[in-house]
Amino acid sequence: MRREIIIAGRGGQGILLLGHVIGVAAAKFSNYYVTGTESYSAETRGGDSKAEIIVADSAEELGYMKVREADVAVFMYGDQLVKYSRLVKQGAVVFADSTFVTEVPEEGWVLKLAPYTKIAETELGTPRVANMVALGHLVGVTKLLSTEAVEKAIEHVVKKSWVELNKKAFRRGLGLASN
Amino acid sequence: MVVSKQVHPLDKYVRVDRLPHLWCPGCGIGIVMSAMLRAIGRRIGEGVFKEEDIVVVGGIGCTARMPLYLNFDTVHAIHGRAVPFAVGVKLANPKLKVIVVGGDGDIAGIGGNHLMHAARRNMDITVIMVNNMVYAMTGGQLAPTTPTGLYTTTTPRGNPEKPINVVKLVASLGANYVARASVTHPALIETYVYRALGKEGFTFVEVLSTCPEVFGRHIGIKDAVQLFMELREKVKVKAKPSLNESYYDWESGFVIGEYVDKDDPGYLRMFGLLR
Amino acid sequence: MRAEYVTSNIAIAEGAMASGLKFFAGYPITPTSDILEYLAEELPKRGGVVIQLEDEIASINAVIGASWAGAKAMTATSSPGYSLMVEALSFAIITETPLVVVYVMRAGPSTGVPTRSCQYDVFQVRYGSHGNYELPVLVPWSAQEAFDLTVKAFNVSEMLRVPTVILSDAMLAHTWEKVIIRNPSELKIISRRKPEVPPQEYMPFKPGEDLVPPMACFGDGYKVMVESLTHDERGYYSPTTEVQERMIRRLVEKVRRNSRLIIDYETYFTSSAEYIFFAYGSTARSVYALVKELRREGIRAGLYRPKALWPFDEGGLKKIASEAKRVFVVENNVGLMYKEVAQVLRDKEVISVGIIDLDVPSPDRIKEVISEWL
Ligand SMILES: Cc1ncc(C[n+]2csc(CCOP(=O)(O)OP(=O)(O)O)c2C)c(N)n1
Ligand code: SF4
Ligand SMILES: [Mg+2]
Repeated sequence: MRREIIIAGRGGQGILLLGHVIGVAAAKFSNYYVTGTESYSAETRGGDSKAEIIVADSAEELGYMKVREADVAVFMYGDQLVKYSRLVKQGAVVFADSTFVTEVPEEGWVLKLAPYTKIAETELGTPRVANMVALGHLVGVTKLLSTEAVEKAIEHVVKKSWVELNKKAFRRGLGLASN
Repeated sequence: MVVSKQVHPLDKYVRVDRLPHLWCPGCGIGIVMSAMLRAIGRRIGEGVFKEEDIVVVGGIGCTARMPLYLNFDTVHAIHGRAVPFAVGVKLANPKLKVIVVGGDGDIAGIGGNHLMHAARRNMDITVIMVNNMVYAMTGGQLAPTTPTGLYTTTTPRGNPEKPINVVKLVASLGANYVARASVTHPALIETYVYRALGKEGFTFVEVLSTCPEVFGRHIGIKDAVQLFMELREKVKVKAKPSLNESYYDWESGFVIGEYVDKDDPGYLRMFGLLR
Repeated sequence: MRAEYVTSNIAIAEGAMASGLKFFAGYPITPTSDILEYLAEELPKRGGVVIQLEDEIASINAVIGASWAGAKAMTATSSPGYSLMVEALSFAIITETPLVVVYVMRAGPSTGVPTRSCQYDVFQVRYGSHGNYELPVLVPWSAQEAFDLTVKAFNVSEMLRVPTVILSDAMLAHTWEKVIIRNPSELKIISRRKPEVPPQEYMPFKPGEDLVPPMACFGDGYKVMVESLTHDERGYYSPTTEVQERMIRRLVEKVRRNSRLIIDYETYFTSSAEYIFFAYGSTARSVYALVKELRREGIRAGLYRPKALWPFDEGGLKKIASEAKRVFVVENNVGLMYKEVAQVLRDKEVISVGIIDLDVPSPDRIKEVISEWL
């Protein structure tokens, strides 16, 4: 098994944290081998932000560290969807935050749209956990990681005072999958 | 006939098998070495540190050759870097007594940045800088300590630069002990080094010295005794001079004495390495 | 033993601590600063000392001093910082001081693109300092290997009393991966050999059979002379051709003769390969992906990947490439190690595939360049 995951959006949307939680959940709390790279523009807010994660059953399978043909993608903003769609393969499962993504090109993807930011803002009290809602959606649909592994990763990575809210957001996202 | 071999009282601290040393006749460095060894001997006698815990580090230069002749753990490091080497030694094993000896170029020229930061950190080492006001080992070039107007091989029309006042510099950075001595007053070198070796934090002794071979030659005083007398005339002793009196100028002369003597916590204490 | 999701930089810091690191000095520089930051947090908890010094020159000189004070010591920097360290590196070589330098290559010349990657410094790392010497340089291709090779770097350095470099790059420094972090008890940790003779009989630079002298440290009562000048077995300055030759030859020979302790490589699909790729560090990851792709297309390609860049593994390369029709040397520079490979494989067709990429050459770009040769 080898899966390429790309997550992209604007600075401030918690893209890197989302990638990091997936990495920790896969590497530390599951039996996977993982390679993750991040890129972001100089400005922390508003600029490009991208996390690329490759998950595999063995270290040998990892190879090249960057995403070439993503099996799974999360786009939290429209500009980045346009910019990085070339890295997403046909048949990929693509998650997008419909709060900001209004148009999706016809690429032969399995599309999963939900208003992560709006959900976070209205139901959880802050747009800052939109990333965890998206993560829940991703995990719920792809079953790539177990719920326990992700929750442990959240506890490991997120600042203590934010853990509960992040987990709540994650679970809210899981719920989107059963809809 | 019984021939008794005379043993110098400091021989136990010297690698006598390496003598004769390379210093020129009339050079001031030997005076500094014996004064330093007497001070070390007194501190060992008092049990302040043990002989096998002494590490003497030199960089490169006539002065920095001193460790080659000393019967301790010794280092002939690279030019200008004796201070950071010493910092590494001290931090890795705080029980060691770490002493740096070097020339004015070694310590305040190429090594000036390290000197500044070790002083600023109040790092627990002692630095003895032999200031012969010239780059002697390389043949008499301008040093940052060469007084204005003097001739060196690289300032054939006289030094247009202002020299660095190392005492003032080190004092301004918060070192615990700063003294200026002179080879013309060996007992004071011993006293100041002795004091420096008994304190925590950064302790610094500048020793004005004579280099008849290259410094003297270029300023027109080739004779070692004459140069020594010239320096002696320029040196005024004062027990506790103020930093305003630390001026550094060939014409107005030099005030030697203990400029700073305080007991701020040294780096090791601040870092929590003193247990 | 525990699994973590960390970058190569952190893996190196963990590897160093597992090896018994007791002193670290460094100066902030992208993309290496997090090693200093991480160790500043972690090493004091394990009884070590970390200090940020005034520059890279101070850092490596302090590390040399700390090593002589008996500590396993390390510094970390990137390309411009290594340029500042090379004078002292040669001091460490002549004084046979065990220490580890972490070198994370970043795109130069000069300040270049500070955050981004390259493999431009493969010669500078080896030949940047003055003097005639050998210097072990290990090149990880993953965070796990960064951990493993750091342990090895300390072992090599302590065993042979030679500074040893871990050569990483900005790409690896920024890549997070799963790393199995082993405890010291689960690792083979080697420390410098101490003298067995009493101080009166000890000569600090008198080698054992392996050409390595046992090392007495400061405070051990041996009154050592650490000498940057050419020295005899006692550590005494001896400016004669005879002593110079003896010293230089031993410094070089002790590494060459023990090179089996340093040299290591991995091969992938090389048996019966028509085309052999030579690649190292992060670039080897791309080449590995490409080789698998080519195999799927029925092209008999294989990868030879040195884990030690220096000393250069002539024997291993010759053996692996003996049946190959062509050898491609793929690097993130304009073709540097190519020269070394071409010289060893004189009777082969060796093609330089030098690609400049601020991350890592992608398999696609490499394929584009080599396809006309397949
Ligand atoms: C990196 C480097 N640059 C230059 C030199 C040459 N050099 C050796 S000693 C010296 C100056 C020594 O002057 P000082 O430190 O005042 O010592 P002195 O000989 O006067 O005691 C210089 C420039 C060197 N050894 N290394
Ligand atoms: S050159 Fe000057 S400093 Fe050097 S040994 Fe001779 S007199 Fe002393
Ligand atoms: Mg001088």
